[in-house]
Amino acid sequence: MWQRIKQGLETRIGLEDLINTKLKSYSVPRNTNIFYTLGGVALVAFIIQAISGFFLLIYYVPHSDHAFRSVQYIMTAAPFGWLFRLMHVVGSNLMVAVIFLHLLSVFFMGSYKKPRELTWIVGWLMLLVTLTFCLSGYLLPWSQLSYWTTTVVTAMPTAFPYVGDYIANLLRGGEFVSGITLNRFFALHVAFLPPILVGLMVIHVFLIRRIGLSSPPFDASSEETKPWTEYRHVSYPNGNSFYPYFVLKDLYMVALYLVVMFFVITFIPTLFLPEASNIPANPLMTPAYIKPQWYFLAPYQMLKLIPNKFLGISIQIALIGTFLLWPFFDTKIERNILKRPLLLATFIASLVLWVVLTMWGRSS
Amino acid sequence: MKRRKFLKSLLALLGSTTLISFAYPLVRFIAPPSRKAEVKRLSLQKNEIPAGEAREIVLNNTPAIIINRPGKGYIALSRVCTHLGCLVGYNKAKGNLICPCHAGIFNLDGKVLSGPPPKPLTEFPLRVEGETIIIG
Ligand code: HEM
Ligand code: FES
Repeated sequence: MWQRIKQGLETRIGLEDLINTKLKSYSVPRNTNIFYTLGGVALVAFIIQAISGFFLLIYYVPHSDHAFRSVQYIMTAAPFGWLFRLMHVVGSNLMVAVIFLHLLSVFFMGSYKKPRELTWIVGWLMLLVTLTFCLSGYLLPWSQLSYWTTTVVTAMPTAFPYVGDYIANLLRGGEFVSGITLNRFFALHVAFLPPILVGLMVIHVFLIRRIGLSSPPFDASSEETKPWTEYRHVSYPNGNSFYPYFVLKDLYMVALYLVVMFFVITFIPTLFLPEASNIPANPLMTPAYIKPQWYFLAPYQMLKLIPNKFLGISIQIALIGTFLLWPFFDTKIERNILKRPLLLATFIASLVLWVVLTMWGRSS
Repeated sequence: MKRRKFLKSLLALLGSTTLISFAYPLVRFIAPPSRKAEVKRLSLQKNEIPAGEAREIVLNNTPAIIINRPGKGYIALSRVCTHLGCLVGYNKAKGNLICPCHAGIFNLDGKVLSGPPPKPLTEFPLRVEGETIIIG
């Protein structure tokens, strides 16, 4: 049966040739490490978010009078509703973590350098879109936690003179977070953002395939260092073929991702659902201890520390801009960060700063 | 060749006109819909708020609070923290208003005592006529 299907496809679309040219003869360096799988894991993480999200849509009601109760219904009454919601909740946090790690490893291995500047920029845009996914999704359960974190975050643009208030009101659809905001964020979360993220993913993968994978810069045998004056495909005649070697490596890491996800769901299910997420939104009562999600804690703490609101937000936009355009600032050909003490020191210092701000934001 | 160039420019013109003509409807469509204020003016009896007590109300769609300051009379303040929009709460023991989000503290006149809020709380007009307090 299987053979006949294969044969049928072979005569019609040339299956063998397709597999050979697109998967088998696409070569990756022999010395790729496990950090090379993080991008693939992020891709699968998004697919898991999409599928669990589609199932949540079956019961979720995007209206401020019903949203909270519909999510409670998913958690307590719909058979296995808790499973899909927790996959979505835990998955969103893990997905952000995987993208962070991916970014760090790409930075550490100098893979953002010419000719891969565009790939880096598209990667950053995907991180920003993912964070927007999280922000918009967070309001949907319409709990005290949702309501008040969204109030704080949508007030941030007001730090800008003149246009700030207008932007904040546009986001919220009014002066305060309300049912109108819920519907705006719902539309963003399930209709506007998914095709944007998928589009960026297509561009990202296209660029990687068209240019060819980079190799780790830490040993002498790595990618030739001929200067880049015209287009050429980076290939590895002695490398491994993408399929099955690299695909298998990817799948192992995906399995690890699922292990972590189900470990959290089984043993620490309330890790990302604190007390305030079980209380329906009350626009007339701000609860004590409202904290954004862990990945927003560092920027949040920074805003609290810088006394001037405008300065605080401007510094953050400048920082994002700098990292986004980093390949254009750092144009040295040397890709090995271990041979560049200043860059290495900056890298470690930024990382330490981020961790300190995050812990501080958590405890203060 | 000239004909091709003409058609190209015509297409560019038509295309950009089509796109641009959507800009205005789009901007209007996503602008915040206007909301009618439900309560523009509110009146209370003086004896409903004894000295040192406060009463939470909603005025002009804004959560607000009326405080009977001992020795200084009534004041109506918006509860919306001028930092990032959380709602301040009245702390009777300390005689101040505290924001739970980033620990902004205001005195009972609405002035910032400490924390990140950049400006005082908004004050609503309030007058007392005989036994009645009128806000708004
Ligand atoms: C096509 C893709 C997606 C769809 C259809 C979707 C759908 C939904 C729905 C219906 C909810 C509300 C139910 C609930 O709160 O449990 C929700 C919540 C949420 N979504 Fe998504 N989602 C998608 C992708 C994503 C992605 C990529 C992320 C981020 C990595 C994300 C992050 C969140 C978060 C943080 C929540 C709040 C979870 C909670 O506290 O309950 N979603 N999503
Ligand atoms: S919102 Fe009140 S102190 Fe930040």
